[in-house]
Amino acid sequence: MARKVRVRVDHNLCVGNAMCETFAPHVFRLNDDRQSEAVDPDGDPIEQILEAAESCPMSAILVEDAETGEQLFP
Amino acid sequence: MASAIQDDMFTPDVIANPYAYYGRLRDEDPVHWNETYELWVVTRHDDLVWLTRHHELFSSAVFKNDPRPAYPAIDESDLGLYEYVRNYQGDQFIQHDRPDHLEMRKVVHGYFTPKSLEEWRPFVQKAVKELLDAAEKKGRMDVMRDLATPLPVLVIAEMMGVPDPDRHYIRELAEKLLYIGRGEHDRMKLLTEGMRGMVVYVSPLVDERIVNPGDDFISVLASGEKAGVFTRHQVLVNTSLLLLAGHETTINLLCNGTLAFINHPDQWALLKKDPAGAAKLATEECLRYDSPVKSIQRIASEDVEMRGKVLRKDDRVRWFISSANRDPAMFANPDTFDINRWPNQHVAFGSGIHHCLGATLARVEGQEVFKALAERFPGFRLDNERLEYQPSITFRSLKSLPINWQ
Repeated sequence: MARKVRVRVDHNLCVGNAMCETFAPHVFRLNDDRQSEAVDPDGDPIEQILEAAESCPMSAILVEDAETGEQLFP
Repeated sequence: MASAIQDDMFTPDVIANPYAYYGRLRDEDPVHWNETYELWVVTRHDDLVWLTRHHELFSSAVFKNDPRPAYPAIDESDLGLYEYVRNYQGDQFIQHDRPDHLEMRKVVHGYFTPKSLEEWRPFVQKAVKELLDAAEKKGRMDVMRDLATPLPVLVIAEMMGVPDPDRHYIRELAEKLLYIGRGEHDRMKLLTEGMRGMVVYVSPLVDERIVNPGDDFISVLASGEKAGVFTRHQVLVNTSLLLLAGHETTINLLCNGTLAFINHPDQWALLKKDPAGAAKLATEECLRYDSPVKSIQRIASEDVEMRGKVLRKDDRVRWFISSANRDPAMFANPDTFDINRWPNQHVAFGSGIHHCLGATLARVEGQEVFKALAERFPGFRLDNERLEYQPSITFRSLKSLPINWQ
């Protein structure tokens, strides 16, 4: 079974650069304030989610293993 | 009755203290029509965030989409040069809207992520150390000339793979490119000299990297040409954009931040207590308090209403970071320099899809410089009380910042 992750976006940091939405379009969506929300952590493969997190210029995206709580990014 | 707000944004008092002038606009007329330059002046934090995140309403293709002449006015004999400037600027990736902008940004974005740039920190630390070693013996330095200018030029030249002996020449060209934000009526001559010089200088480098790509940034741009995202002209102007943007703004961060510490001994004492621990948040506060970039422009893509005013399609819209970062609606005690401020949602790097590509690099350089200054020259003083700023509407640039520690 594929690894499950938890994804969070820190809105104190998010500047709406929207690269996360480009790399993992089914996981991240911009809200009405044009800040990113993690709407579905299962929406894209984990590699894409990590690429999205890495591409964030503010390091605003936190990715954890849903089972173990291990922090996968940053 | 309060006096009317004058519209000349290049007067000596506005240049010396933008915070009073744009702060007054922010408080009294936050979406202000500037009759002199025929543009909207937007000054509140929440309006800047909204505007920059609604890129579909406000085009970044300013040079391509602005039908009006240059402002302030330029010599009539230079109109041909202005066309050259428009074509040159218009080909930069930051002067594009989606969908083109996204494809272009994807080519360059990976080079500038926080993770990639962390690998540059040791290079920055070493460069700072060498520059401060050279200054230490003299007992004094001009922070601008001896530290803030050579450091980012060294870093960006290394990223570009520009040979050592050429760095002075690159800086000379960059000085001319800075006339983009100035008001002199004859500024097009120097500006186009800088642009043409950059194209001539960079062309053979690009030719070479197309054939022999390396891990440098020109090779990244060249890969964009191979992928059909950039034309050759776009590779050339983007290289020169990165050379300019990669250092002018950083120079301002380093000088303005150092000056903020000079003017706030209590905050300097705080930094000195724990330079390594405090440098990160301190750099954010330097970015907020006296931001390297004062303002940036867009063109309205359609009629847009803001605060009861109607901005018409094709209107110029200039948004002022200087006032937004001192907005009391966003920041408690906005005119206080507080290096522990957190959260610190400043807009020094803009916001939205055009958020500064080099933000992390600027942060790394700021953190390393403020840390090193606090560790090595804890007792430095200002050497000259009369400081002057370049007469630019875009950049908050000191002309020099002499200090001593004897």
